Amino acid sequence: MTSGLRILVVDDEPPARDRLKRLIDELGDCECVGEAGTGEDALKLADQLKPDVILLDIRMPGMDGVEAARHLSDFDEPPAVIFTTAYDQYALDAFETHAVGYLLKPVRREKLEAALEGAMRPTRAQLARLAKVSPTAARRSHIAVRTRDELKLLPVEEIRAFMADQKYTTIRHPEGEYLIEESLRSLEDEFGTDFVRIHRSALVALRHIEAVERAADGGYAVRLRGTAEPLTVSRRLGGELVRRIRSGG
Amino acid sequence: MPAPTQSREEPGAAAFYLPDFCATRIVFVVVLIAEIVALVLTLAHGPGDLDFWTELARTAPFLLWIALGTAFVLCVVRARLARLPIARASAMALVLIVGVTLVISELAYRFGESFALPGTDLGRLFPSDHAAFLIRGGLISFIIGALALRYFYVTHEWRRNVEMEARARIHALQARIRPHFLFNSMNTIAALTRSDPRQAEEAVEDLADLFRANLSEARAQIPLKEELEVARIYQRIEELRLGARLKVEWQVRDLPMRALVPSLLIQPLLENAIYHGIERLPAGGTVTVAGERDGSVLRLSVANPVPSEPGAREREGNRIAIANITQRLELAFPGQSGIETVQTTESYKVTLTFPCVEPAL
Repeated sequence: MTSGLRILVVDDEPPARDRLKRLIDELGDCECVGEAGTGEDALKLADQLKPDVILLDIRMPGMDGVEAARHLSDFDEPPAVIFTTAYDQYALDAFETHAVGYLLKPVRREKLEAALEGAMRPTRAQLARLAKVSPTAARRSHIAVRTRDELKLLPVEEIRAFMADQKYTTIRHPEGEYLIEESLRSLEDEFGTDFVRIHRSALVALRHIEAVERAADGGYAVRLRGTAEPLTVSRRLGGELVRRIRSGG
Repeated sequence: MPAPTQSREEPGAAAFYLPDFCATRIVFVVVLIAEIVALVLTLAHGPGDLDFWTELARTAPFLLWIALGTAFVLCVVRARLARLPIARASAMALVLIVGVTLVISELAYRFGESFALPGTDLGRLFPSDHAAFLIRGGLISFIIGALALRYFYVTHEWRRNVEMEARARIHALQARIRPHFLFNSMNTIAALTRSDPRQAEEAVEDLADLFRANLSEARAQIPLKEELEVARIYQRIEELRLGARLKVEWQVRDLPMRALVPSLLIQPLLENAIYHGIERLPAGGTVTVAGERDGSVLRLSVANPVPSEPGAREREGNRIAIANITQRLELAFPGQSGIETVQTTESYKVTLTFPCVEPAL
């Protein structure tokens, strides 16, 4: 039933990974194709190796399991996800409610086998609901962008600005500009504590504002660290910008 | 970088000891006291010009008026008294009790003077010696008032102690090891059982010791040496799981190892440091456990790096742990312990201060 499954094991604790790998080996007909210790590495490996199933730990430093699963669901051919957790009451409740596959650590061999047989891709809606109850994943730590054939994870704190651009949104980052298919409004909802809207089409990172300048026409413009041209501030939003800068957030 | 925020958590001031005199139960107690005093006074009076029952019948209503008057006045001013230091509030309450007694005595005297003619049956029920009557009433009410206040104070203290002990016991239960830690450790042991049976064996032994310490009597005080040992055992188990990500630096050489401390003082702080700090940092970090003796005071601190944006819910768990340690320190060293937390964007530090109690050899 589980024959030929290619599995990626993700957990920040080496002994936990070792145990899962050994259990998979002992199942005989499955193969562990790789292992990762962080959410970021998991996404990169998943992109390269294209596993059928990912065993994904929830509580990991940096990008946690729920967030990694959300990024995975944006892949063209997302792998099935089975979450693993030692004890996270909030997560267990959420898994039960949204019928998402999970395993409790220490994982029993029979349970692993059954979970692999029934492994499914969680839907984006399921994952979004999971993220809502997660204490850490409600706000992504990274934005995943695809450049030609490589998956790139941009840490949110490095992003300078989001610019609305027809039906896409452009991310301004020191390493370049990237297109994503998310609306400025949903980005503002998610990252509103660190980003401020300065224009109908621009959301800028408060922490990267270098200066607010007077433009020739009497309005304001914002200069961001490491970018060349200043961004215009609309008259309507100037007051809010000044208030946010003064209050330090 | 924002300035570090400091917070000092001190056990809240004990609630005022005088009960709410508007409450039925307390009014009943006051009436009871008045009637007992009436009985005692009547018995002490001995055979006079009135028989026992008439004597009681005239004393009891008089004292009842005083009792209800006092209860009414104390009920009204209680909130204001509660804001004063205890000694001053007690003195004020006593002055009020005597005052109410004098006012009602005066009214009784005046009433007798105007309505009951001396020499008649009715007249004999009322006092005839004005000044002596007031002085006697004032003195008796002063003594009975002081005794009643003392009674309320002792009852209140006793109840507060019982409550605090119960609360401390509950908190000690809550302080016990997080399920998160238990299940992760079980997982680590399951992994080691085959790859490194020897280490697995040690981990099981460590876990057993840790649980023994956790299950021991919540109120027990143990030598600092043992408390540090429990924390080190905890560290060993976490090291198996987190590998090189966890480093703990111990700066405790100068501490008096025989000093008695409430059990589970350091281990929960170390657990917090790992749960909220090290475990959430991809590269891990160093927890510093430091201690020093400053005269008759011991100072213990646990410091750890934290990720830049911890989730709100995670901090909640930490707050509970700190409140619980505060409570248990307060129970062990009433009014002499302190706990201070300093949080910056990169680090978190808890410092405990309490008296150094070394048992005689």
